[in-house]
Amino acid sequence: MTKKLDIKDHNTLFQAEKYQKQAEGKRVFEAACSVQEVEDTVELLKTEEYKEKNFNREAAVINPAKACQPLGAVLAALGFEGTLPFVHGSQGCVAYFRSHFARHFKEPVPAVSSSMTEDGAVFGGMRNLIEGLENSTALYKPKMIAVSTTCMAEVIGDDLSAFIENARIEGAIDQEFPVPFANTPSFVGSHITGYDSMMRSILAYLSEKNGDLSYKIPSEKVNIITGFDTYTGNFSELKRILELMDVDYTFLGDHSDNLDSPANGEYNYYYGGTKLDDVAQAHNANGTLLLQKYSTKKVTKYINKKWKQDTIAVSSPLGIKNTDQLLKNIKELTGKDIPQVLKDERGRVVDALADSHPYLHGKRVAMTGDPDLLLGLISFCLEVGIEPVHIVCTNGDKNFAEEAEALLKTSPYGMEGKVHIGKDLWHMRSLLLTEPVDFAIGGTHMKYCAKDAEIPLVRVGFPIFDRHHMHRYPIIGYQGTLNLLTLIVNTILQQLDDEAPAHSFDAVR
Amino acid sequence: MEAMQEPACEHSMNNNNHKGCAKPKPGEAAGGCSFDGAQITLLPIADVAHLVHGPIACGGNSWEGRGSLSSGSSLHRYGLTTNLNEQQIIFGGEKQLRDAIRGIVDRFSPPAIFVYSTCITALIGVDLDAICRSETEKLGISIIPVNSPGFVGSKSLGNRLAGEALLDYVIGTALPPSESKWDINLIGEYNIAGEIWDIKELLAQVGINILSKITGDGRFNEVRWAHRTKLNMVVCSRALINMARKMEERYDIPYFEGSFYGAKETTASLQTIARLLNDKELIDRVQAFTNQEEKKLDQELENYRKKLRGKRAVLYTGGVKSWSIISALQELGIDVVGVGTNKSTNEDIARIRERIGKDAKLIESGGAKKILQTFRKEKGDILIAGGRNMYVALKEHIPFIDINQERHHAYAGYKGLKKLAEQLVNSLENPVWQIVKLQPPWKER
Repeated sequence: MTKKLDIKDHNTLFQAEKYQKQAEGKRVFEAACSVQEVEDTVELLKTEEYKEKNFNREAAVINPAKACQPLGAVLAALGFEGTLPFVHGSQGCVAYFRSHFARHFKEPVPAVSSSMTEDGAVFGGMRNLIEGLENSTALYKPKMIAVSTTCMAEVIGDDLSAFIENARIEGAIDQEFPVPFANTPSFVGSHITGYDSMMRSILAYLSEKNGDLSYKIPSEKVNIITGFDTYTGNFSELKRILELMDVDYTFLGDHSDNLDSPANGEYNYYYGGTKLDDVAQAHNANGTLLLQKYSTKKVTKYINKKWKQDTIAVSSPLGIKNTDQLLKNIKELTGKDIPQVLKDERGRVVDALADSHPYLHGKRVAMTGDPDLLLGLISFCLEVGIEPVHIVCTNGDKNFAEEAEALLKTSPYGMEGKVHIGKDLWHMRSLLLTEPVDFAIGGTHMKYCAKDAEIPLVRVGFPIFDRHHMHRYPIIGYQGTLNLLTLIVNTILQQLDDEAPAHSFDAVR
Repeated sequence: MEAMQEPACEHSMNNNNHKGCAKPKPGEAAGGCSFDGAQITLLPIADVAHLVHGPIACGGNSWEGRGSLSSGSSLHRYGLTTNLNEQQIIFGGEKQLRDAIRGIVDRFSPPAIFVYSTCITALIGVDLDAICRSETEKLGISIIPVNSPGFVGSKSLGNRLAGEALLDYVIGTALPPSESKWDINLIGEYNIAGEIWDIKELLAQVGINILSKITGDGRFNEVRWAHRTKLNMVVCSRALINMARKMEERYDIPYFEGSFYGAKETTASLQTIARLLNDKELIDRVQAFTNQEEKKLDQELENYRKKLRGKRAVLYTGGVKSWSIISALQELGIDVVGVGTNKSTNEDIARIRERIGKDAKLIESGGAKKILQTFRKEKGDILIAGGRNMYVALKEHIPFIDINQERHHAYAGYKGLKKLAEQLVNSLENPVWQIVKLQPPWKER
């Protein structure tokens, strides 16, 4: 064995005297404020008075719990066979999206940019787009390119439709090569809006171009659209349920293979995804089931209007009631029965909920996330006696707030719940410090205010950078309910152990 | 053999041709063995080392299985065992035992070591008494043999054998640093969930002092001077009645059986203590104190009682709890509609009858299935039992409260009744019961 080097990591390195002294010296040099002043400010930030100021804040958003439109558009694009997400604008944006997804999924993420620069900003981005399309088809050999836009392209008013047409005329891409596009400025909406726009655009493009919407071939198929769902485990869980029910289905947008590819020694750019030809036939289906509604508003409208198809849109099916509703919806759409396997599974999960409920009863929780996820989480919490107290939804709208409030009102455990739309994690911090709760549910970004409030964070949602593989396990369906339950109850039990005096540090809980 | 003839126990071989402590029935889902029983009684003595002489399973499986809490030393929580292997079983395992004892003395220097025999060491004929005697002489600390191998019988018999070990080797070997006129011992209270702390506080409020805790949150020395007490209160009657009786015989210490579950029982216990200590001042103090506490508790319980009134409970636990918890539940307005008596003595059963009348069902044996049958038939709302029956109840959508050793809530005294009420309300009101009973929407009617 080679000799082990003693290399300190950053947790320990700066504890060394040398660096401590250096930091002291730096403080003097920088004329930093006094320790007392820092402490006073920390105390002030915990007060009701500061909370009021904080909630009157208009000019700044501090730690928003949302991402921007093109990020959602990239995820939507990754759901289709051989599709390269192409973001028209400056290239920094794309680098962010890629690292964001890579950090969450621990996977490489193919996405390209038209890399606009100063001259593009002045003279318009057409040249960049045309060259970009030419180069990326040659380099990455996609079957389709899905173009979305950054703020910059939107501000200078680039006309994507005309630019793509010009690219065909110039021969940069084939006449028939599919290039759906969506306008996705970051200054409007959030990642769920971008997902919606891009998805609508891809469905419209492929079904109108390659299919014939004027007549339907009756079919038993059902279309499934998951919405902005970052749990690859949810896809396999959903497929398992559909297969157990013997349903003939088509996923419209399935990014689970692209973001969970096998490590077999050779990387391809494209894995799985919805077949482009399947999208052309999708309007023939018996109906479309959408598993998020706030991220699929435009898509739903389009399917109703253009495909003249029935749609059922529900919020994330978390918990028993929501999963029951999901199965009922599938049954109604397809006429298929619910098999015994699923009924047994339900019984087992109900059993698990009963086993754990004494530790969950009356626990107060704060949560952040996307609207549909939050509705699912609230419903789950109310089922086991957890009390949602602070619900912060940066990208939630009025409809969401009304729906969430109505849901909270259905249970005595929701009475204390307050829904804050358009608020950020700094608001959340004030809430946590003035009205304490027992634990928090949210993505990684919530860990800072959770730490300040000295409560544990159960990581659910997007992004999750600091825990591994969470996205590989479903949170929807009965199985997902079990996973969610396990995650939450074990966090509570860990907390119990951490806080237990020696004599109550019990083996059996 | 002597333990099987305990005259204060109506199961005794001397009484009405009984065959002694009931033997476990083959093929029946049974409780613990005598080894387990002996450990239950002695483990709460926190500052001594508990060494299990046998293969890994006896010590390994029982390790940390009880919620007997200690306010100081935690030596009792170390799972110490000789972990005998095949070779050692063939050649006797004496060396391992001696090494283990010395190892423990070196490492922990405890005031004493309890050495438990197990089925295996009893079968291969290890002379535990002789080894312990010689090690005691060499090392100068008490090494005490506990001869209660699993095969001799039930858990209750094990409790009693452990009591014998205390009588033979511990009690009467030291004097307390100070004594008071109102000293009592608590026998058979194991400080589950910290109950003895609540009891201690309660007794202190009228000036009663616990001289020896046998054995909840106990220390070796206090058990040694237990014979200097004025009165023994036996809290878990079946387990250690022999100990109280023998102490009466040897040291002329009166004893009584009582409980701290529920306000009525608590008051009755305090009154009995005062009466037996035969002190006018104490009797008056107890009278004033219990009046005041009961009044206060009544107010605090008002809201809980509203929610609990008329709820139907089935109780399945052992010994003293089978009747004392009934009083507690009744005080909260709960109807007790079924009581398990598997581990109750005839005297316990008589007390149950006194409290719930003839109509309520007694469940003699039959385990989980029988309990659930009774529960359904009597239209119960909540089941109160031990951990082993908990998951069956939950499987059947029955609200449940754990009353045995794995619980985390102390129910003794006036305070405890309030906690019990709170737990009952929580369990009954949790929305999970709506979810488990919710019919899936696709279900055809």
